[in-house]
Amino acid sequence: MKPVLSIARRELGAIFATPVGWACLSSLLLMTGLFFAWMLGLYAETALQAATSPWDDPVNLNDHLIAPFFGSWAVILLFLCPAISMGLIAQDRKEGSLELLLTAPVSTTQIVLGKYLGALGFVKAMLVCTLHFPVLLWWLGEPDPGVLLSCYLSILLLSSAFLAVGLAASAMTKSQLVALSISFAVLLGFWVLGATEPQTGSMLSSWVEHASLLDHMERLTRGALHTQDLAYFAGFTAFFLFVAHQRIEAMRWAE
Amino acid sequence: MIQAQGLTRRFGPTTAIADLGFQVGAGEVVGFLGLNGAGKTTTMRILAGSLGPSSGSAALDGHDIQKNPRLAKSRVGYLPERPPVHPEMSVRSYLAHAARLKGADPKSAVATVMDQTGLEAVAHRLIGNLSKGFQQRVGLAQALVHKPAVLILDEPETGLDPAQRQEIRSLIRGLANEKTAILLSTHVLAEVESLCTRVLVIHQGRIVAQDDMSELETLQVQVARPGQAALDALEAVAGEGSVEAMADGRYSLPGQTDREALSKVATAFGLLELTNRNRLEERFLRLTRGDE
Repeated sequence: MKPVLSIARRELGAIFATPVGWACLSSLLLMTGLFFAWMLGLYAETALQAATSPWDDPVNLNDHLIAPFFGSWAVILLFLCPAISMGLIAQDRKEGSLELLLTAPVSTTQIVLGKYLGALGFVKAMLVCTLHFPVLLWWLGEPDPGVLLSCYLSILLLSSAFLAVGLAASAMTKSQLVALSISFAVLLGFWVLGATEPQTGSMLSSWVEHASLLDHMERLTRGALHTQDLAYFAGFTAFFLFVAHQRIEAMRWAE
Repeated sequence: MIQAQGLTRRFGPTTAIADLGFQVGAGEVVGFLGLNGAGKTTTMRILAGSLGPSSGSAALDGHDIQKNPRLAKSRVGYLPERPPVHPEMSVRSYLAHAARLKGADPKSAVATVMDQTGLEAVAHRLIGNLSKGFQQRVGLAQALVHKPAVLILDEPETGLDPAQRQEIRSLIRGLANEKTAILLSTHVLAEVESLCTRVLVIHQGRIVAQDDMSELETLQVQVARPGQAALDALEAVAGEGSVEAMADGRYSLPGQTDREALSKVATAFGLLELTNRNRLEERFLRLTRGDE
């Protein structure tokens, strides 16, 4: 476990040491701040309408502000996670520092886990920086703590999945830009799956629904914690970590 | 300490190294020579564990690199041609990271290796801001941080100034005295002459020579009165048929010749010059040009 933590610590430090890390953090804060202001305005308008019209359903903070607000983070993370993860292995290959890991008495699994946990640590640090939103929500009304927790959990799970794709993409190439493009394209593919789902046939539709990232995330942001969603994210993440593992192994053995 | 047997590595249709077999014992410094693209780096990467062989086997300190990769890697320190450093880290934190990866105690190991490689003065500086020579030293320090029994150095003197070269050479000599097995690749033949006890010459992926350095040394004597009498007298000291007569009263003798006896004999014929010469460059060029 020590080598894993050592690799993770270095990766975390490396992300903070580059402009990319700080750019991602400031983008997250800026974008979520803008989304919050915009959605709060919509919420206030809807609440005012509902208060003046006896036929409209009462407005609920959890359903009308928290769920759409945290749901919108998926779009931001779709851009940020590939940027955070693009250098995880590609940068080391380009600089030649991957040799340090490949010649150290650590397994490929430990290398992959260390890199992955380092990037995940950065996302966690970013999420800590957004804890002013729950404080604001408590100031505005009475949010359900369970829903808030579930929203943060869904964002963490979604980030985990995105970072795993990013790590696998980073292992494919020495170029960070190419890694960024690969991971963005793959994630966009899974994203589009959700959007195209109603137009497909019934059997295929069910498969597509299971494969879509967004469908699983939407349930979580509504506060519904299903085992199948957790299993989906775990499986998705594990698959792409396995791809990264195999790619690093291939570097040793490819002819 | 290093035992390679039938090591072969193919990259697609190209065979980078074929059927390499050699040994490096404890306390030996072996020079690994070859032209660019001869297969030196591929061999070293296989021994260090960052590349797998297509066939053959190698063991480091008794541990097979394929059957017990972790144990084998824990015994080896490797400095690649390009030092595997992280430019955004400070020297101290990078070496602590390397020590943790290699299972050494970061505090004591880092202090020892920084003292060994003369890095204390730059301990808190970012590696990316250091000169190439210092970066090379940091790379060497990471290879030494866990006190390996086997050291594999791929062109360790790249980017070093003459003073730093001297320091690194004395460090390598010190490590050899502590029974570390050292395999050293370089294009600087003077480095091999001053450090190595043996050389391996690789050409087009195959070992073409394994020579003791002493076998490559010759003595050259120049006398004022050359002739058959001088030649007979010199052969009486160096051995019959081992003396080669050259122009200008010069004679070439084997490196192992008793120098005291030689100088006495040569003085009788008017000794002008007695020099020690290494035939390494000559032999290397002949081997790699395919003359032998």
